[in-house]
Amino acid sequence: MSITDLKLGEKAYIHSINGDNKLMKRLMALGCTEGTEICLKNCAPFGDPLVINLRGCDFCIRKKDAKNISIKDNL
Amino acid sequence: MKTAALIGNPNVGKTSLFNTLTGSNQYVGNWAGVTVEKKEGFINEDLKIVDLPGIYAMDTFSSEEKVAKEFLASGEADFIINIVDASNLERNLYLTTQIKEYKTPIILVLNMMDIAAAKGLEIDTDLLSEKLGVTVIPISASKGKGLDELKSLLERGNFLSVSNENDFQFHNEKEAYDYITRLLSTAVKKKDSSRQTRTEKIDKVVLNKFLAYPIFFLMLWLIFEFTFSWVGQPLAGYLSHLVDDVLVPALSSLLSGSSPWFSSLIIDGIVGGVGAVIVFLPVILTLFLGISFLEDSGYMARAAFIMDKAMRKMGLSGKAFIPLIVGFGCSVPGIMTARTLESEKDRKLTALIVPLMSCNARLPVYALFASVFFPGRETTVVFSLYLLGIGLAFLLGMLFKRTIFRKDEEPFIIELPEYKAPELKNLMNHTWDKGKGFLKKAGTLIFSVSVVIWFLSNFNFSGMTDINSSILASIGSFVSPVFIPLGFASWQNAVSLITGLMAKEVVLGTMGVIYGGSLASSIQTHFTPASAYAFLVFVLLYTPCISVIATMKKEFGVRMAAFSVTYQLVLAWVVSAIAYRIAMLIM
Repeated sequence: MSITDLKLGEKAYIHSINGDNKLMKRLMALGCTEGTEICLKNCAPFGDPLVINLRGCDFCIRKKDAKNISIKDNL
Repeated sequence: MKTAALIGNPNVGKTSLFNTLTGSNQYVGNWAGVTVEKKEGFINEDLKIVDLPGIYAMDTFSSEEKVAKEFLASGEADFIINIVDASNLERNLYLTTQIKEYKTPIILVLNMMDIAAAKGLEIDTDLLSEKLGVTVIPISASKGKGLDELKSLLERGNFLSVSNENDFQFHNEKEAYDYITRLLSTAVKKKDSSRQTRTEKIDKVVLNKFLAYPIFFLMLWLIFEFTFSWVGQPLAGYLSHLVDDVLVPALSSLLSGSSPWFSSLIIDGIVGGVGAVIVFLPVILTLFLGISFLEDSGYMARAAFIMDKAMRKMGLSGKAFIPLIVGFGCSVPGIMTARTLESEKDRKLTALIVPLMSCNARLPVYALFASVFFPGRETTVVFSLYLLGIGLAFLLGMLFKRTIFRKDEEPFIIELPEYKAPELKNLMNHTWDKGKGFLKKAGTLIFSVSVVIWFLSNFNFSGMTDINSSILASIGSFVSPVFIPLGFASWQNAVSLITGLMAKEVVLGTMGVIYGGSLASSIQTHFTPASAYAFLVFVLLYTPCISVIATMKKEFGVRMAAFSVTYQLVLAWVVSAIAYRIAMLIM
């Protein structure tokens, strides 16, 4: 399951980050690491990009990039 | 002299702190080879501060990160001032763990202590200082608290002796973040406050499915009106009125006794050149006041968020929409706004296509030709030119993205910062920075080219003359054959286009002088409807005016400016030739 499968407002723990190296590095530097709580907060009017909340901050991320954040057990 | 590096995440008040510490004592330039602004300032004769770009980490992907990393690695900094958002230490301290590796003393400035307190956070600064091995100083820059303590600390310099044993060697991001989480669980006490924050409430409205776009376009409309109808443009008009109707008559009566070439040099050459520069200033200042307001309030990131899907098609991120829209008013501030984009690729690509947005100065040319050659269909003709510009911008955006910028693709992840009321002092600082930069860097080039064109159009090799027998006329006859496939080859048109380098509306002024008499009737004998349309296409697309070229050179360097001029000339010629053929078939 990836973060894009959540409904708006739902939270989950991060399982792993995939995708290209640049994206992975960037996400992890922002604290997107295994076991961290992540929340899908919002989406743009046409469904893309998304707003995710990570360690108390909101970030805007494109759907195709967000697909690379896989999650485990919904909260 | 000691050098301090100022570093921190974006949106933590870094620039504001830099301005407070250094006052007017600063120098703005570019880091070598990249479009990242380099700011240096002095606290006193013995202490220089270098403002590094706002970054989240140093993983050397973006040009901002590279610049910061290279500067710290060079060992030039004697110590580091690391400013962090006290209300969000978890993410901010990640960068701190990375800069610890440079074994340089660090002053950790906890900014926004007031916001942290409002969020119910209690921070044990002594424990942070001990565990991280840094000097910690809490401040609240917007409330002016703690700044004196910081200044006197910097002046005393006794933080340099602080133990620097604890340099972290984390193997990956997870280790670093786990360490930070453990540290903060002891150093920060949080009184629980799960209530909805102000930012969440505002976002409910501003990012609402139905309201998001109306609100965005309302904001843009307000800024546009403010710049081009209410304040900026009227002020510019007033300035040029002062120059044309007050300064010029005064000077001509003063110079009536001197030789004609001298009074023409002063009045047409120098005053004309200065005028060309200063009329831009009010527009730039008012526009940047508006843009800074959007930026500082936190709204700009939301605009990027809702426009991203559309802009992505041309290889840009959402924020690039704003410079392009500004370009419809004037390309100069459009290109300057492109500097606010996150990635180097976005900045350059946007700046290259901004001039394709048809600016205000081109409208008088369209209006005259359309009314003479296409009576009753003026709107359609003018509208088609605007659409042509937009369409070509899309095509070239996609083309450049796949060719010259292919390797520079960066992941698009931007922070949506909390909303805050912008501080007037910051807005003024930022706005004045832009105006000053334009006057200093672009102004000199605009001025010199104005004087050169004045010279070429008033002289030939035997002395002073009128434009019909000037050097410029000879240049015009020399280049005019180039325009044969475009249908409007004559030295007069060539000269008009060359003087259009000054500003595109000058094309009409020059034609008025060369053709003489009523311009509306004289152009009818020199153009057919098809060649008139081809001419308008050429005016839309050819080399931007000298102010734009000068701005491009200032912001992005000579190579970008040269490329911009060349590609637009080629594009204008090709598209105009095609338009001429098609127009001949239709008309």
